[in-house]
Amino acid sequence: MTQLSWDAVSVGDTLQPQSFPISVYRLVVAAGANRDFNAIHHNTAFAQATGAPEMYANTLFLQGMWERTVRRYIGLGGTIRRLASFRMNSFNCVGETVVVKGEVVRKWREGPDGLLEIRVWSENGDRVSVGPGAMVVSLPVDPQ
Amino acid sequence: MTDDWRQAWAPVIESIGVELHDEPPRYGPDRIEAGAVRRYLEPLEFDCALHYDADVARAHGHADIVAPCTSLLTFATGPLWEPGQTVFVGAERDAQPARSTLRPRMPQGAPPVSAFFATETDIEYLRPVLVGERLGRRGNRLLSCEPKETRVGRGAFVVIESEIVDEAGEAVARIRAGLYLYNPHTAAGS
Repeated sequence: MTQLSWDAVSVGDTLQPQSFPISVYRLVVAAGANRDFNAIHHNTAFAQATGAPEMYANTLFLQGMWERTVRRYIGLGGTIRRLASFRMNSFNCVGETVVVKGEVVRKWREGPDGLLEIRVWSENGDRVSVGPGAMVVSLPVDPQ
Repeated sequence: MTDDWRQAWAPVIESIGVELHDEPPRYGPDRIEAGAVRRYLEPLEFDCALHYDADVARAHGHADIVAPCTSLLTFATGPLWEPGQTVFVGAERDAQPARSTLRPRMPQGAPPVSAFFATETDIEYLRPVLVGERLGRRGNRLLSCEPKETRVGRGAFVVIESEIVDEAGEAVARIRAGLYLYNPHTAAGS
């Protein structure tokens, strides 16, 4: 993972999109890993009884997709400070592929810290299924 | 008559701004373990050495492996089962456990709902959290409640504010979580 410097970032820079195909197997692994055992996330009949078209990815799994995407961009020396406006627009169901994208929309300094606001969203087919929201991160600043 | 379901949310709306359950933090059952962090990475295929290699984490200024920031809620969540309890009470295909660690806690008088899902989240991460720490949840302050009928059912959008705290009671993250609590439309279309 390459270390990005705050000084090297420009507003408008984009993150490498990350794809997450959603299978039943993966949803079950996600439930075991993040402990969200709500049956809407691993049981078709149960999910459909609540009005959803199919079992669908849980919030923590979807947040983790954003974290992986942003972490890949900021590198090991970056710090995630905030997740904002993580808004679920539509279900991300089994059989679909979620693609997380991002763009730097703000860059500023707070004392010694170099901060970025990265606009992040999840696409699913032709729709934005989560967000757009934001992750605020700090990055190493080049020595003067 | 048709707005009875909206009126049922009045006790919840009256609790906006109120700390719903003023009590000590509720802690997750375990200290954060390296294996649990590794398993958190698996479904995400999340290859970040801060989360599985202590040497790399130390080289970047951390005392040990760092938990992914999106995993903090997982580690602050209570156990599904505890000694002395019986939670798996039925053999029906879709039988649910007798208790849920995820169901939001509403004020007394809130209408019963059979379904819910998360709608929106804001989290401020105050510091990195490391393996070996134990996390809990503190606070359950209702910020808003808006009854609404959607294509999946009738219920209300609520926003609840809470904190994730360490063993010393210091906040490591502040959360505003939006939820839609509802009763699904039946097949008859009610």
